[in-house]
Amino acid sequence: MNRRAPLLTRSPVDLVLTIIAIVVVAFLFVPIVVIVIHSFNAGRLLIAWQGFSFDPYVVMLQKPAIRSAVGVSLLTGVIAAVLATLAGTLAGIALARRPGRWAAWFLITLLLVSVTPEIVDAIALLPWLVTLGIDWQMPVFNNGIVRLVIGHSLFSIAIVSFIVRSRLVGIESQLEEASADLYATPARTFRRITLPLAMPAVLTGGLLSFTLSLDNTIVSSFVAVSGSTTWPVYIWGALRGGLKPEVAAVSTVMFVLTLLVLALVALVLRRSGDSAASIARTLAAG
Amino acid sequence: MTDEPRLRILSSRAAAPYLRAQLTRRGFLGVSVGAASAAALAACAPTGSSPELDGTVESALSIYTWADYEAPDVIQAFQDANGTTITLDSFNSNEEMIAKLAAAKGTAGYDIVVPTGPFIPGMVENGLLMKLDMDLIPNFANLDPQFASQVWDPDNEYSICKDWGTTGFVYDTTVITRDLATWDDFLDAAQNEASGKMSMLDDPAEITGPYFWSHGIDWNTTDEGELDAAENWAVEELAPHIAAFDSYPGGGGIPQSLYVLMQVWNGDARFGIMSSEEPDKWKWVLGSPATELWMDTYAIPTGAPHPNAAHAFINAVLDPDNSLLELDWNGYNTGVADIEQAAADEGLELLDMVFFTPEQVATMQTGVVTDAQQRIVDIYNKVKAAAGQ
Amino acid sequence: MRARPGFLLALPAWLWLVVFFVVPVLQVVWFSFGRKPGIFGTHDNSVLTLDRYAEALDPTFGTVFLNTLWIGVAGTALCALIGIPTAYWMAVKAKPQWRGLLIALVMIPYWTNFLVRTIGWQVVLAPEGWLSTALGALGILDGPLEVLNTRGAVLFGVVYNYLPLMILPAFVAFDRVDPTLREASRDLGAGRWRTLFRVTLPLAAPGLFAAVILVFIPLMGDYITPSVLGGAAGSMVAQLVAVQFQAGQNWALGSAIAVILILAIVATAALGYALFRLVALPFAAARRVKLGAP
Repeated sequence: MNRRAPLLTRSPVDLVLTIIAIVVVAFLFVPIVVIVIHSFNAGRLLIAWQGFSFDPYVVMLQKPAIRSAVGVSLLTGVIAAVLATLAGTLAGIALARRPGRWAAWFLITLLLVSVTPEIVDAIALLPWLVTLGIDWQMPVFNNGIVRLVIGHSLFSIAIVSFIVRSRLVGIESQLEEASADLYATPARTFRRITLPLAMPAVLTGGLLSFTLSLDNTIVSSFVAVSGSTTWPVYIWGALRGGLKPEVAAVSTVMFVLTLLVLALVALVLRRSGDSAASIARTLAAG
Repeated sequence: MTDEPRLRILSSRAAAPYLRAQLTRRGFLGVSVGAASAAALAACAPTGSSPELDGTVESALSIYTWADYEAPDVIQAFQDANGTTITLDSFNSNEEMIAKLAAAKGTAGYDIVVPTGPFIPGMVENGLLMKLDMDLIPNFANLDPQFASQVWDPDNEYSICKDWGTTGFVYDTTVITRDLATWDDFLDAAQNEASGKMSMLDDPAEITGPYFWSHGIDWNTTDEGELDAAENWAVEELAPHIAAFDSYPGGGGIPQSLYVLMQVWNGDARFGIMSSEEPDKWKWVLGSPATELWMDTYAIPTGAPHPNAAHAFINAVLDPDNSLLELDWNGYNTGVADIEQAAADEGLELLDMVFFTPEQVATMQTGVVTDAQQRIVDIYNKVKAAAGQ
Repeated sequence: MRARPGFLLALPAWLWLVVFFVVPVLQVVWFSFGRKPGIFGTHDNSVLTLDRYAEALDPTFGTVFLNTLWIGVAGTALCALIGIPTAYWMAVKAKPQWRGLLIALVMIPYWTNFLVRTIGWQVVLAPEGWLSTALGALGILDGPLEVLNTRGAVLFGVVYNYLPLMILPAFVAFDRVDPTLREASRDLGAGRWRTLFRVTLPLAAPGLFAAVILVFIPLMGDYITPSVLGGAAGSMVAQLVAVQFQAGQNWALGSAIAVILILAIVATAALGYALFRLVALPFAAARRVKLGAP
């Protein structure tokens, strides 16, 4: 079923493209290599190499604040990504398939979400969450993770919506129509045709959402409550006393775990990518 | 992507706190939810209140401070001694911390916060801080009186010195081979050898500070003419030579030799030099003829759920042994009496960057928030715009 | 189609954004019509005025906005120049079973904290850093490498940190172009380039446009990324907003600057979109290519 070009390619243009891609991916990893090396730094500051040591890994385990911050970030990242992906996917499909007069307004909302400087979100959200949680007595908004998820989900919903929409828009909805003509229920059509077609966009959107959540600092810093300091907030705050090598040790551990987890995700991605493509191809070919 | 409040941080006098309007239910909600009915709101009067202060240390303590700013050994010892679990939370700037306390109206859940001195009057005015009970902090007697009563809290009703520092500069003696001693020398080197390779602290007051300090003007001035002159100096003479605004060159600029001249806080400079491969090439100079004295303080926010544990912790860090651990951890002077000798006995390095002579301390000025704050921020923006050209 | 209006599908996202974005942010926008009351206050709307907008539009804003625009346009263009061929290769040239892995490889570096990544680059790019030493040893460079805190470093930091926002959406865009269409084009005698410009790019265009928007818009509102490696050269308008909200404690003015910044970015993006349509017009015919036979 694979009719595409193999990895080792035939023409000079393909060769150049391959080289560019490999160089780009390698380029992305350069700073990570530095950090992995510096995680074995015996010195006091992360950045200044003063000999080899495993101490940063020992110290890392002794600081509950680090464990807590990383835990909060990972939990928030997962929840925010799932939430943004669900809401964004539905919105993206609606925008691509059934745009009505509302679509323009919704797109403007998404655009404004993307364009608003984060500090404005932060300043706006903090008192609003307190109003909801304390004045209006909805205690769920006093929960640190809930607040962080809300803050992180805003831009992510916009991203997922944009990517899903652009994946589907312009591809005629003949597949869905064919499915409906064949007496599939709308729900079945949605599940068997539309969703698989959108799946690569959904998964990359989810990945981007998680990534952005993991790096969010300003909003996190404003909305967090006692016990919900995130990893980036910890790191930026730690500048005052000097960033220590254990920050690199934590990053290295996360990196290694990431490699393991992402190997799994890559597997899932590949499968769904294939099935989406093959369904589309099969149906399209007729 | 993530932005962040990131580099602008510490230090004095950056602005003032909040909004009384935020603190009163009517004022805040009037802005935030105009539509809500007053009756509905009256039913849910907010604000947390603290338990009684009776010296019984609670089983939990939540400290809201700069990340990694408390010595882990001190934290651990306190937990072991009192059976108290300590939660540490981080902020990136005083403004964030204050925004959080103001918005939460006493329900933020923190027991100890660590504001920088000039922020205290605004916090007090807005009712964000609780009065300290000195009976529960007998170790306050250990604090050097010199660092006890500060202009922002003359009677230590609300705050106690955690550590203090000052501003100076560090330069690369292999590039700038002459001796630099004053802020005038600093500017001269910036315009010559260090042009395009020098950094300033990323804080509005620190940009104009050197002008005032070198010209014998109070850096808390609100005089229009003096501010105009400072603007002219900063925008015309200094800005074109600035390579970066970096509040923590010790964490990268010095060990990586990113710049040849840096305005820097003493503790950060000290760690930078200690971590450098060639510590001898760097020279630290305390700002002269005058410079800054900034101070981070311990305070207890209104509505703290564990005020007894908070008092006990503040008392514990003022113990001379713990104080030495804190000094070693942060690199800043804790202000506890006789700590200089203890630090020397311990063999800590570069102590002339931690302790200063009484004559030097006499040249250091604390910052306060004044009506000129907006002007100083405007100057800062102009300097950044000019330096970006 | 028989279905419910699309509006219902978009409703959860919309409601969420209205409750947690539109309502609170409108409140902050409202501050821009007020003033800063005294030194310990941040905003006061008892007297309504447009004065903050007049203050916001001072010459500093203009200077910094031009710098922001330059960084936004150049940064986005560079991201596109590097990211789009990479995405094209990943989606079209690489073996399908590799694609999941490649996506993962593009994302992994960004799961390490921004500041930590930046420090990694500093170690490499510093005057006495790895690259400087390596180039010196090879005899390519005489003396220390002076790249940090320059305009080049601004773009370097921007490209590095925004690349996944370009590559991933562009990958999704190319991935949707059915290979049979390209083959059909080739079978009908179109050359490689003709196929690229007449089939692949037009079909991927909405996704590529989304990718460009996803880089340009957030970049214009960013002030950290350009300055971490680029230093003073990375001065951005969002910094003016942040400093008023933080050090200035002047929420009224900060909000006014933010509103002007948002309007300026939207106007710039709209202008860019108009240009894009102009350029894309010649390909309009190709757009009508339908997916498959029926």
